[in-house]
Amino acid sequence: MLETRGLGRSFGALQAVADVSFGVEAGELRAVIGPNGAGKTTLFHLISGLLAPSAGRVLFRGDDVTALAAPARCRRGISRTFQITSIFPELSVLENTRIAVQLKAGGSFRLVGGRSVLDASERRARESLMFLGLADRADEPASTLPHGDQRLLEIAMAVAQEPALLLLDEPTQGLAPDDTAATVAVIRQVAHEQKLTIILVEHDMDVVFDLADRISVLHFGRLIAEGTPAEIRASADVQKAYLGGLD
Amino acid sequence: MANLIEQLLNALVLAGLLFLVSAGLSLVFGILRVVNFAHGVFYMLGAYLGFTAVAVTGWFWLALVIVPPAVGALGALLEASTLRFIYRRPQIYQLLLTFGLALILEESIRIVYGPTAKGVDPPALLQGAISLGGLLYPRYRLFLVMLSLAVGAAVWLFLRTTRAGLVIRAVAQNSEMADCLGADVARVRTLVFGAACALAGLGGVAAAPMTTAYLGMGIGVIVDAFVVVVIGGLGSIGGSMAGSLIVGAAQTWGAFYLPETAMVIMYAVMGAVLIFRPWGLFGEEE
Amino acid sequence: MSPSRVLGAAALVALALGPWVLARHQLSLLTDLLISGLFAMSLDLILGYTGMLSFGHAAYFGLGAYASALVLLEFAQPVPVALAAGMLLAGAVAVPVGWLSTRSTGVYFAMLTLAFAQFLYTVAYKWRSLTGGSDGIAGVPKTELFWGGPSLASSQAFYLLAAACVVLSLLICRAIVRSPFGRALQAIRENERRFTSLGRDPRPFKLVVFVIAAVFAGLAGALFAPFRGFASPEVMFWVFSGQGLMMVTIGGIGTLIGPILGAMVFILLQEILSSYTEHWMIFTGVVFVLIVVFLPGGLVGTARRLGVRG
Repeated sequence: MLETRGLGRSFGALQAVADVSFGVEAGELRAVIGPNGAGKTTLFHLISGLLAPSAGRVLFRGDDVTALAAPARCRRGISRTFQITSIFPELSVLENTRIAVQLKAGGSFRLVGGRSVLDASERRARESLMFLGLADRADEPASTLPHGDQRLLEIAMAVAQEPALLLLDEPTQGLAPDDTAATVAVIRQVAHEQKLTIILVEHDMDVVFDLADRISVLHFGRLIAEGTPAEIRASADVQKAYLGGLD
Repeated sequence: MANLIEQLLNALVLAGLLFLVSAGLSLVFGILRVVNFAHGVFYMLGAYLGFTAVAVTGWFWLALVIVPPAVGALGALLEASTLRFIYRRPQIYQLLLTFGLALILEESIRIVYGPTAKGVDPPALLQGAISLGGLLYPRYRLFLVMLSLAVGAAVWLFLRTTRAGLVIRAVAQNSEMADCLGADVARVRTLVFGAACALAGLGGVAAAPMTTAYLGMGIGVIVDAFVVVVIGGLGSIGGSMAGSLIVGAAQTWGAFYLPETAMVIMYAVMGAVLIFRPWGLFGEEE
Repeated sequence: MSPSRVLGAAALVALALGPWVLARHQLSLLTDLLISGLFAMSLDLILGYTGMLSFGHAAYFGLGAYASALVLLEFAQPVPVALAAGMLLAGAVAVPVGWLSTRSTGVYFAMLTLAFAQFLYTVAYKWRSLTGGSDGIAGVPKTELFWGGPSLASSQAFYLLAAACVVLSLLICRAIVRSPFGRALQAIRENERRFTSLGRDPRPFKLVVFVIAAVFAGLAGALFAPFRGFASPEVMFWVFSGQGLMMVTIGGIGTLIGPILGAMVFILLQEILSSYTEHWMIFTGVVFVLIVVFLPGGLVGTARRLGVRG
């Protein structure tokens, strides 16, 4: 499904991501972990197309998408959420999700009418909201939602686009334990029912070991370990990376 | 040859004045993330206040010293009483506010001073022309070049080497963190805004003997300053310098070779920069 | 029928009755209000719905005015031809200017719009042979509705034409903001980066709405020229753009009808204040600043918010 070859990105003298080569199979749920500053979000930007790499390639479903920018990659099937909630604040919860569907599906240049476009996207949006448990807040402005629900809205927007690959950037960030458990359940359900491939960046180790099929570990921008949860838990390299440096 | 030197000097004079105005504009954006639409009017205010100061005291040097702080104080006062309350809102509202302030200030100047331009005599020391190897060049203009160079260097040194400058740069990079570390962010903002207005006011006072104080000054300089910061990039003093030189040169040579279309050259340069770097030569991607 | 529909219908009826109910100078004032309202509404398309702050919108009003003036004076065509010319010229200029300007966002965009507008103003000011320079073009006639058709010289007739244009424009703009395109614009306003990550480049959208807004501003200008009988560089000056911004803000950013009301309030305020003092501009400026700080939703926005709670 997704493959990166020698992917790297530097900002001036800072090498945020260096020589990352890994592959994710279709239907897999892969977690990417690493200490703070390891380059996880930068990696996501490189995969989703918000950043162009300094080196290396990104292959999606066998095609080289390195030259494509974010909008094109999204239309090809990569949807993502953001670490810092990035929604449309003054628009309603429903509209947030509906516009996500419309932008990917097309028809956005219909200046008059377009009733069918609006109806179809609304239907799909409501499905997604129901799935995420947000259906009863559909008409409220997104900015009025509590933090936990906003994180769910992020996921609803991405899922509504019916992607092939879903990138979740710290979906449980800032959530209370109850909300975390609910979000984990939702992610598992989404992965199962929609047969999505998911790459997950997470700090919460319980969530990671709960959800992941395989785990990739990043440290100072480099891939230092990859394997099943059991393998990673036992790996000396990983322990050194997390515990060896400063907290 | 003499012609070339004359044009070069003219370009430097223009660039210097533009730098004084656009450096302040750039600073305010870098630190407050606000484009102060009223900036040009502070420049104009400096010129008119300079006229008054000279008319009252007869001393240009005195005007040069007391007008900029006065303009700066007014700017700081306006920032603290209006802009300060709307920082958290979408950027549009701050722009609209500074626009409203610009209108109020411009009208106030018109009410107080009337529609005719006010001439200001340069001090005796700087009157007349000086001979530069066969070229006769106005003393006052040379003074302007030196003044802007000196001020530019002072601002740069201040930001780079003093503790206050460090605080300002910290607030520019990450205001929340600076706040946590004890910097009084609100006060820094007010001071920077005031300082920027003072710079613009200085530009106005300095320009008045050369251009007279007239009502179109505000909009004229702000449009040029906008072009400068678009080319150079907001938030970068170096960018303001580069942009000022480019615009100053374009206008001077354009005015000489193609008088009717001088402006076209400036906008053409701006257009060209934008095609390749929509955030200016030294600016940051938004 | 919902309250807003009733209001709308009532307003339409009131507008239609104008020529029979109002005196000539009142009708003239109303025409002025409608034309300015159209200008403000066009600005709201880019400011309120797409979040693009333009300081140079007056340029397109001016282009419309000059094109219309020339068509009416030099070629003696019916007014609708002049209107079309105004819209065409405004739209045509907006394409390259918009393309360059929308490559930048936020404050850069705002500054660019001002710079381009000042450039166009200077062209209008200096190109004496075409535009009459600082004197502008005077003696623009109100011609006829169509070739061989009824004359529009009377204030009643011209008022009806202007009112029809404004109402039609409002309906078109309303349809646009409700369409998939209009929804996309609002998403751009709210969060451009998210928009990009959801699958579209915002720039084509911004360019299209910029041109559409320019066309409607051009229509307003094209109505202005025969209405007032002249076209001059002032209507391209930044102060006029600023007045547009004030009208939109006072009425309510992002409401379409708000800017029209805002224009009416602004002009009426101007009329009343100018009879007391020649420095009415300052008071308007102060009111504007107060609204920006305390009532950012403007009249309509605040009313809606109160209505929702009540």
